[in-house]
Amino acid sequence: MRFPLIVTALALTALTTVGCAVDTASPARAAEQFHAALAARQEAAACGLLARETADKLPDPGQDCAQALRELRLGPGGRATSVSVWGEDAQVRLAGDTLFLHRFSDGWRIRAAGCEPVRDLPYKCEVED
Amino acid sequence: MRWLKENSLALAFLVMFLLAVGGQAVAGMLQYNDQQLAQGTEPVSLLKYVASSTFAVDVAENWQSEYLQFFLFIMLTVWLVQKGSPESKEPHKAGAESDEDQQIGRYADADSPAWARVRGIRLWLFSNSLGLVMGTIFLLSWLAQSVAGQAAYNSERLGDLRDPVSWGAYVTSPEFWNRSLQNWQSELLAVLSMVVLSIYLRQRGSPESKPVGAAHTSTGVEG
Repeated sequence: MRFPLIVTALALTALTTVGCAVDTASPARAAEQFHAALAARQEAAACGLLARETADKLPDPGQDCAQALRELRLGPGGRATSVSVWGEDAQVRLAGDTLFLHRFSDGWRIRAAGCEPVRDLPYKCEVED
Repeated sequence: MRWLKENSLALAFLVMFLLAVGGQAVAGMLQYNDQQLAQGTEPVSLLKYVASSTFAVDVAENWQSEYLQFFLFIMLTVWLVQKGSPESKEPHKAGAESDEDQQIGRYADADSPAWARVRGIRLWLFSNSLGLVMGTIFLLSWLAQSVAGQAAYNSERLGDLRDPVSWGAYVTSPEFWNRSLQNWQSELLAVLSMVVLSIYLRQRGSPESKPVGAAHTSTGVEG
């Protein structure tokens, strides 16, 4: 009796870990919307898609978030080519950018954008918290 | 009341296990939420934490090492002995022992389990069932650790703005082996301590100890 119970517990552990169906569409959509807003010069809307900590740290003194994003002139994003979701964190690769996102209670928000890989080290990002 | 007394050892461990795993869940959630706030992210509920890969890997890595410990102890004590230890057989009994010693086949008693009286695969399975079950739970727990560990590790890596890793890369990573080996070393030390200390030390009334007056050289005697 004890053996099946333990196996069930282990199976449940594995299932809860892997998750039944990982939603990759939502972070991809948030990343695409962020770049679409920048392309449309709607920096304020793009700022609304940033995680609060990222948006707070972005501007220099005397600037607001939208002005800071405008100055950065991030390149075009394009379509999502791959999405990795692990727990509450995600990495979205667009044709022209790599973004890192976190899932908050009100949805996916961008923690870092304009990211370039650095061998064996964290990505170097134009926008990050 | 009699049933409670006759099963008091298993019940006591079951209650302690539930209290400990519950305490681990609460303490783990509080620690996790502290980190979440420091990173500018949101705290999680107890239910969400218990379903997280962070909790799962912490549970599984301890489970696998405990079951590995018992699996090794069960299997190695078939062939290896320790003179003077109540955890060991007498040196001349090393090995699988005779059918008569093991009360199987025609040597089975009237109250022997049914599969001890038959021959073939059923007897083999029953003869090795304890080791097989412990070994299987160890492997499943270790697999669960690797799956949950990869998820927790990748979540952490994404939080650090790093690429996630594949399962194959995770199970060959220092993170996975550090988690495994740090548990294994403590379990192996505990068994070593039990095997050796029980040669010279006694615990009156415990079947895990030799009788208080037993000689240090007597092996396989439980009090």
